[in-house]
Amino acid sequence: MRGATDQYLDLPRPPRSTGKRLVVTLSVLAVLAWAFLGTQFNPAELVAGLPKMADMAKQSWPPDWGRLFDPADYHLPEELTWQQTLLPGPLTQDQQDIRDAWWSNTWPQTILGGTIQTIQMAIAGTALAALFSFPLGFLAARNTSPHPSVYFGVKVVVNVLRSIPDFAVGLVLISAIGLGPFTGVSALAFATTTVLVKLFSEAIENIDQGVVEAIQATGANRFQVYSFAVVPQVMADFISFVIYRFEANIRAATVLGLIGAGGIGLLMNADFRTFQYQQAAVSVLVLIVLVLIVDFASARLRRMVQ
Amino acid sequence: MSRQPTSILLPRDADLIQVTGLHKTYPGGQEVLKGVDLAFRPGEFVAILGLSGAGKSTFLRCLNRLVEPTSGRILVPGMVVDRPADAVVDIVRVSGPELQRWRRRVGMVFQQFNLAKRLSVIDNVLSGSLGYAHPMLSSLRMFSDQEQARALRNLDRVGLLPLAYQRADAISGGQQQRVAIARALMQCPAMILGDEPVASLDPKLSLSILELMRNICREDNITVLVCLHVLELAKRYADRVIGFAGGQVVFDGPPDKLDDLSIRRIYQAKTEELRGFSV
Ligand SMILES: Nc1ncnc2c1ncn2[C@@H]1O[C@H](COP(=O)(O)OP(=O)(O)O)[C@@H](O)[C@H]1O
Ligand SMILES: [Mg+2]
Repeated sequence: MRGATDQYLDLPRPPRSTGKRLVVTLSVLAVLAWAFLGTQFNPAELVAGLPKMADMAKQSWPPDWGRLFDPADYHLPEELTWQQTLLPGPLTQDQQDIRDAWWSNTWPQTILGGTIQTIQMAIAGTALAALFSFPLGFLAARNTSPHPSVYFGVKVVVNVLRSIPDFAVGLVLISAIGLGPFTGVSALAFATTTVLVKLFSEAIENIDQGVVEAIQATGANRFQVYSFAVVPQVMADFISFVIYRFEANIRAATVLGLIGAGGIGLLMNADFRTFQYQQAAVSVLVLIVLVLIVDFASARLRRMVQ
Repeated sequence: MSRQPTSILLPRDADLIQVTGLHKTYPGGQEVLKGVDLAFRPGEFVAILGLSGAGKSTFLRCLNRLVEPTSGRILVPGMVVDRPADAVVDIVRVSGPELQRWRRRVGMVFQQFNLAKRLSVIDNVLSGSLGYAHPMLSSLRMFSDQEQARALRNLDRVGLLPLAYQRADAISGGQQQRVAIARALMQCPAMILGDEPVASLDPKLSLSILELMRNICREDNITVLVCLHVLELAKRYADRVIGFAGGQVVFDGPPDKLDDLSIRRIYQAKTEELRGFSV
């Protein structure tokens, strides 16, 4: 029996190209095989490593929570009361020196201090990048750049620089300006600027050009057009990109710590290298909680600005 | 501080603007304006009719140089661009600050309103005074009390004073077009260009917007040029109708001179094809 719509099945349809499909499927399989062979894919090694991993997990348990909660692990200077060390207030010169030494040397070596330093690195690096990328974004957008050669130049330079991974920037800066959180901040600022310029300039290129025309038609100059026609259309996106990069930079700051640029990554690295797994476990757990909180907060914030 | 802009007093019997031999060829080779000669008086309300693609928008945009004319002249009295009263300025040849001085005397209203949607209504109105305002402070969206007062007055004039501090995307289409008109009024314009200003609005709103524009034209002696695609509206509001076809003027006269023949010429159609439309 034929249904009411079956007549449509009789209409000619384009033939399915089985040949093309076969070629695509075989090519994909070939690429996969090539990749796995080239990387000496060996699940057996993974299985053989399992007991070692289990052993490591056992050695990290229970985490050494004292590192996080025990006041003794914060090595507060004996010469001062804890209020004198932690709270602002008048001190003698000697006391001042002791306090400064604790804040700059001891505090970043504690779990809480290291974590906070990582957050500070991410904030400072992202803020610097936002500052640089805002004007650069205008130069790198076709519709706001003062001249095609400026647009082209900025775009090419930023694209090339963006291809350098942030930890590679970190390695270069460590050998140039030495270990420490400032190196981490510089590396983050550099890498983040290149990403933000790309995202921001693309957002500018996607604005409704009609508003730009309308403001130009009032006799406005270039900066007035930016302020009234461009910025209002891209500001929410820009803030969103900055918050998103801050979120990514919390993780990037940790990785930079692993190679010596301060923060919790540095502590984690030291603990792993000295096989103090119970201590390392604390840093790892703190980091996980931190990343979860920041991801959640960032998603909320980004929804708020849109 | 920057001075308050004032309207220009032009004699009613002299032309505000004289267009001669205006040509426009877009990159790509299409000749869209093929020698347009027109002149407009202060306080004229002119409707421009024509098929889609006839070159109406291109013509309007050449007048404030959003589009660069290929050749031709657009002559205006010097006082409009703060030159001596007896000077005559060719807008096709001005650039930089002088072009900005011309543009600030020419308001423009668009089909899509083109407001900055995330800014408040009052900021959108204030953007109409950018050509007169302090270049740096206004770039930070800071305006003098007098400018803000003037913006509120112009909003009042288009009937939207209570919406001053709403966001521009929170108001209706008809209201947005009123804000765009208030923005144009901030310019103390000698001329207002309307590129299909009512094409996105329903018939009732269309009438009220055109009514507003005509009242402004009468009260402030502003030349108003609007492209329309509804013949009825042109007949109802315009002092003068100009028909464009294929980049040339094929009709120029008062609306009551618009007979079947001229309508056929504007719309390049046979009369039968137009039957059923209210021509
Ligand atoms: N920026 C542009 N670049 C190239 N061609 C354009 C451009 N703007 C308009 N045109 C062409 O010019 C012709 C006239 O367009 P337009 O002036 O917008 O006519 P109208 O407003 O009467 O519909 C159309 O064929 C259009 O495709
Ligand atoms: Mg048009």
